[in-house]
Amino acid sequence: MTQSADNVLDHFELFRGPEYQEMLANKKQMFENPRDPAEVERIREWAKTPEYREKNFAREALTVNPAKACQPLGAVFAAVGFEGTMPFVHGSQGCVAYYRSHLSRHFKEPSSCVSSSMTEDAAVFGGLNNMIDGLANTYAMYKPKMIAVSTTCMAEVIGDDLNAFIKTSKEKGSVPAEYDVPFAHTPAFVGSHVTGYDNALKGIIEHFWDGKAGTAPKLERQPNGKINFIGGFDGYTVGNTREIKRIFDLMGVEYTVLADNSDVFDTPTDGEFRMYDGGTTLEDAANAIHAKATISMQQYCTEKTLALIQGHGQEVVAFNHPVGVSATDDFLMAVSRITGKEIPEALARERGRLVDAIGDSSAHIHGKKFAIYGDPDLCYGLAAFLLELGAEPTHVLATNGTKPWEEKMKALFASSPFGKNCQVYPGKDLWHMRSLLFTEPVDFLIGNTYGKYLERDTGTPLIRIGFPIFDRHHKHRYPVWGYQGSLNVLVTILDKIFDEIDRNTNVPSKTDYSFDIIR
Amino acid sequence: MSSLSATIQDVFNEPGCGKNAGKSEAERKKGCTKQLQPGGAAGGCAFDGAKVALQPLTDVAHLVHGPIACEGNSWDNRGARSSGSDLWRTGFTTDINETDVVFGGEKRLFKSIKEIIEKYDPPAVFVYQTCVPAMTGDDINAVCKAASQKFNKPVIPVNSPGFVGPKNLGNKLAGEALLEHVIGTEEPDFTTPYDINIIGEYNLVGELWQVKPLLDELGIRILSCISGDGRYREVAYSHRARAAMMVCSKAMINVARQMEERYGIPFFEGSFYGIEDTSDSLREIARLLIERGAPDELMDRTEALIAREEARAWAAIEPYKPRFAGKKVLLITGGVKSWSVVAALQEAGLELVGTSVKKSTKEDKERIKELMGQDAHLIEDMTPREMYKMLKDARADIMLSGGKSQFVALKAAMPWLDINQERNHAYMGYVGMVKLVEEIDKSLYNPMWEQLRRPAPWDEAGNSWQAKATAQNDAEAAVLAADPVRAETTRRARKICFCKSVDLGTIEDAIAAHGLTTVDSVRERTNASGGCQACTGRITDILAARPRPAAPPPLLDAAE
Repeated sequence: MTQSADNVLDHFELFRGPEYQEMLANKKQMFENPRDPAEVERIREWAKTPEYREKNFAREALTVNPAKACQPLGAVFAAVGFEGTMPFVHGSQGCVAYYRSHLSRHFKEPSSCVSSSMTEDAAVFGGLNNMIDGLANTYAMYKPKMIAVSTTCMAEVIGDDLNAFIKTSKEKGSVPAEYDVPFAHTPAFVGSHVTGYDNALKGIIEHFWDGKAGTAPKLERQPNGKINFIGGFDGYTVGNTREIKRIFDLMGVEYTVLADNSDVFDTPTDGEFRMYDGGTTLEDAANAIHAKATISMQQYCTEKTLALIQGHGQEVVAFNHPVGVSATDDFLMAVSRITGKEIPEALARERGRLVDAIGDSSAHIHGKKFAIYGDPDLCYGLAAFLLELGAEPTHVLATNGTKPWEEKMKALFASSPFGKNCQVYPGKDLWHMRSLLFTEPVDFLIGNTYGKYLERDTGTPLIRIGFPIFDRHHKHRYPVWGYQGSLNVLVTILDKIFDEIDRNTNVPSKTDYSFDIIR
Repeated sequence: MSSLSATIQDVFNEPGCGKNAGKSEAERKKGCTKQLQPGGAAGGCAFDGAKVALQPLTDVAHLVHGPIACEGNSWDNRGARSSGSDLWRTGFTTDINETDVVFGGEKRLFKSIKEIIEKYDPPAVFVYQTCVPAMTGDDINAVCKAASQKFNKPVIPVNSPGFVGPKNLGNKLAGEALLEHVIGTEEPDFTTPYDINIIGEYNLVGELWQVKPLLDELGIRILSCISGDGRYREVAYSHRARAAMMVCSKAMINVARQMEERYGIPFFEGSFYGIEDTSDSLREIARLLIERGAPDELMDRTEALIAREEARAWAAIEPYKPRFAGKKVLLITGGVKSWSVVAALQEAGLELVGTSVKKSTKEDKERIKELMGQDAHLIEDMTPREMYKMLKDARADIMLSGGKSQFVALKAAMPWLDINQERNHAYMGYVGMVKLVEEIDKSLYNPMWEQLRRPAPWDEAGNSWQAKATAQNDAEAAVLAADPVRAETTRRARKICFCKSVDLGTIEDAIAAHGLTTVDSVRERTNASGGCQACTGRITDILAARPRPAAPPPLLDAAE
C-alpha cells in the first residue's frame, strides 16, 4: 500500500514498503547506470587504506566536508548579543537565510537578521541604494536600538565601502544621524565564523569607543574596577554565559559581558514574541572602555578585538575555551588576580566536587583515544581536559585552525606524556578526518552533528560537543565552562563510553553476560 | 528438617572453621555472629549473604519472599557471569504488602512459586526468607515442601532472614540449604576420574573462565562450581566429584567439609590469584585426583602446563618491571585475599609497604609474614589522614583495595585499584595476573592523581587540607614525643575491643593485676572480646607481648 489517509506513515516507514523499494531498485537499474556492486565495494574498502589516505592528504584545491562556517555567521552571532540590536548583512539575502536557519536549528529559537537583498544590478552598480533602503526599512519595521552591519562576499567582491555607505544613508535620512550603526567587513573568503565574530565585535566596540565613525567625540578611558568578559563564538552561550555570571556574582566581581546573547537564544514561551531579548546595553558597551581588564574565553575568536582593547590601555587576558580542573583554575585565578576578589568557598567546593567526580570515573577514560574536531579554541580546551584525564587526543583537527594554533597545540601535547602520539591538523577537513579514523582508529570522536556521518562510516562513536548540534536538543543550555561545566563535559563523555560498553554487551545469550547493572 | 536456630548452631559448630576450632564451648555457643554495635555502620545481613552466595546459579529462579526492600536492593548487584541462562538476573519477589503482614504471606508465596513455574519453568526455585515474613511467622519450609510436591519441581527454602546475623553467616546458611535440599539429589550422566568441584567461587567478571581452559586442557572436568556460572543440576549431582577445591573464602567451608564427611570428597583451600598460587592450586587438584585414582601421568601433564603458562605470564609481565621499579603498594583488603594478592604483587616486582589485616585470621597473618618477611607491615586500621601521610612521605605509590575503601583512597587522593567484587577486570589465573599488572600500571601512571592531589591554586601554602593533615599529624607526634605521660595515656587509650569498648590500658592493667594468661580470663575480667571476637587476635598479641615495659606506639608506627 502507498500512503493512505487512514494510516499515514512517516518517512521512516513509508519508503520501506515493497512498492517504494521496487521503484527505487528499478530506478537505479534502469536510469542510474549502476556500477558493479563488487567494484563499488572494492573502492569503498580501498578508501579505508593508508594508500588512499596519502592521496587524500595530497589534496591541494578541493575541500570536502569542511568543519567551519563563514564570517557573517559569526558577525550575526556577536551582533545579537547587544541590546535591541538587529544584525544587518549587506549583500545577498540568501546568505542571511542560511545564518538564520543555522542558528535556529542549533538553538531551537527564532533568529532575527535582515539583509540588504542585493541583486544582479546591485552587484554591477554597487549596493549603495540597497543600503539606503535597507537601513530605512529595518529602522521603520523592526525598531531596533542599533543596527549592526556586516557583509557577505558579494558586497566585498565589488568593494562596497560600508563607512561611506552608512554615512550617505544617514544623510539621505534612512536613520537619524546620531543613530548607532556599527559595521564590519566580513568576507567569507577570509577566515571563518570565528573571524567574523572577532570583526563584528571589534566593529561595535570601535564604534562606541572611538567616536562613532567620526560623528561623536572619542571616549576618554577613566579606569574603574570592573572587568569585561567575552565568550567568543560559542554554541553553549546560553548555559556558559549564565554560568560565568553566576561565578562572577559568587566572587563579587563587577563585570560587563560583551555580546551577551544568552537571552536572545533562549526566550521563554509566554505569549510574547521577543525579537530582541537581553543583551549588553549600549551604555555598558560604551562604558566597557573604563574597565580594568578584558577577559576572552576564546583567543582565536577575539584576536583583533583584544588588540583594539589593549590599545585603549586595558589589560587583556585570553583563554582557549577552558575545560577541566587546571584550565578552570587558571581562569578563576586570573579573575581573582585582576579584581582582587577571593575565590569563595562555594567555588572551592565545586572544584572539589569536580576533582571527586574525576577520581570516581577516570579509570574509564584513562588510556582511551579520541579524535576531536571543531573550532580552534574548543579543540584546545577539550584536548587539555582529555590529557588531564589521562586520555589521548590522538587527532585534533580544525579546518579554521591557523599556524600559531598548530604550534600551541603541539606545545600542549609536549606538556603531557599522553600527548606523545597526538597530532594536530590545521586547515584539514572532515574527509581527512575520515582517513585518519580508518588508518589510525581511535575509541571516540568528539565533534558536532556532522560527525554522525563519520560515526556511521568508520564506526567511531561520536560524542557531540561543538557547534552546530542540530540533531540533539537543548545541549546549549548546559554550560561547559567552570567546574560545573567541566563536570557536564565529563558526564557527556562518560555517557557515551558506558553506552558503548552496553552496546557491545547486549546480545542475549551471546555477550550479555557483561550487560551489567553496575558500571 | 531442622529448625533455623538449630541450623545456625550447626554452622557455629563447624569443625572445618579454624576460628571455631580455637574457641571454647561457651564461645562456640555464642557463635561467630558478630554482635553489631548499635549505631555503627555495619555490612550486609544474613539474607544478603545467602543471596550473593547462591545468586550466581544461573538457571534457577531466585524468589525473595519479603517486602520490596530485600529484592529491590539486591537485584542483580553482583558482577557474576553466566555462560547460559540469564534467569538468575531476573528479579523475582513476592513484594508483600500490609495485608500479607497482618494475615500472613504464605498464600502469596505459594502463588508466586506457581506463577514462576508456569511462566519460566526453571529447573528449581530458590525461596529466600527475609526478616518480615520470618517475624510474622510465614513457614517457608512448609510452603516450599508443599509447592515442591504439587508442582513436582525442587523448591528450595533458603532460611536466612537478615536479623539472624551478618553476611558471612548468610553465606554459610546458603551452603546449609544446598547441603540439605540440593546436593546429592540427582546423578550425573557419567563420571570420570577427573571430576572436581570448585566451592566458593562466584565467577565474578567471568574470572573462572580464565582458569577453566587450563583445566579443560588437562582433561579435568568442573563437575560443579558452587556457585559461579553454576546450574542447578550440577550442584545436585556434585556429590559425585572426586575432589574439591575450596576457593579462598571461608564463606562455604561448611559445604566443603560436610561433602568430605558425607561423600568422602577431599578438599583443599587454594587460590587462583597470583602466578604461584595458581600453579600450586593446579598441582593440588592433580594430586588429590591422583590420590582418588586418576592416573599418575596427570601430574606430569599438569607440571608441563604450569611450566608453559608460567613462562608465558612472566614474559608478559617482564616489560612492566622497569616501570614498577621502586613503586610501593599499600594493600587494604579483607581476609584471605591479603596473602594471595601479596604474592602476586611481588611477582610483578612491586614493593609491598603494608597490608591490612583487619579481617585476617591468625593463619592469614602468618602467611603474610612468610611472604613479606618477619617485619611485615601489618596494618590493623588506617585513617585517610594516615593514608595520605604514607603517600606524602612517598612510602606508597598506589593502594589496592575493595570498593568500600575506594572513597577513602580517593579522598586521600591516592592512586587506587579495585580488587574486590565490583571491579571490571578479571584477575584470576595466569592471564588475570597479567591483567592486574596492566591495570596497576595504568593506575600508577594516570595523570589524574596529580590533579587530585594538587591543592586549589588559591589555597595558601600550608592551608590546604593536605598540609593541615600533615601538620596535625606532626603536631600530635611532637606533643607525644615531648610528653611521655601523655604518650603513655594515648598508647593506653587505643581501643582493642570495639564491641565492648575496652582499651589497651584496661586490658594491660587486668593482666598485670591478675596475672592473666588466656583470652578467656581477659574476657572474664574486662569483657574484652565479649562481642564479635574479632579482637581475640589482638588480645593474644598483648598477652604474648607481656611482660614488656612499653608496647610499641599504636597504628602507623606499628606498621613501620
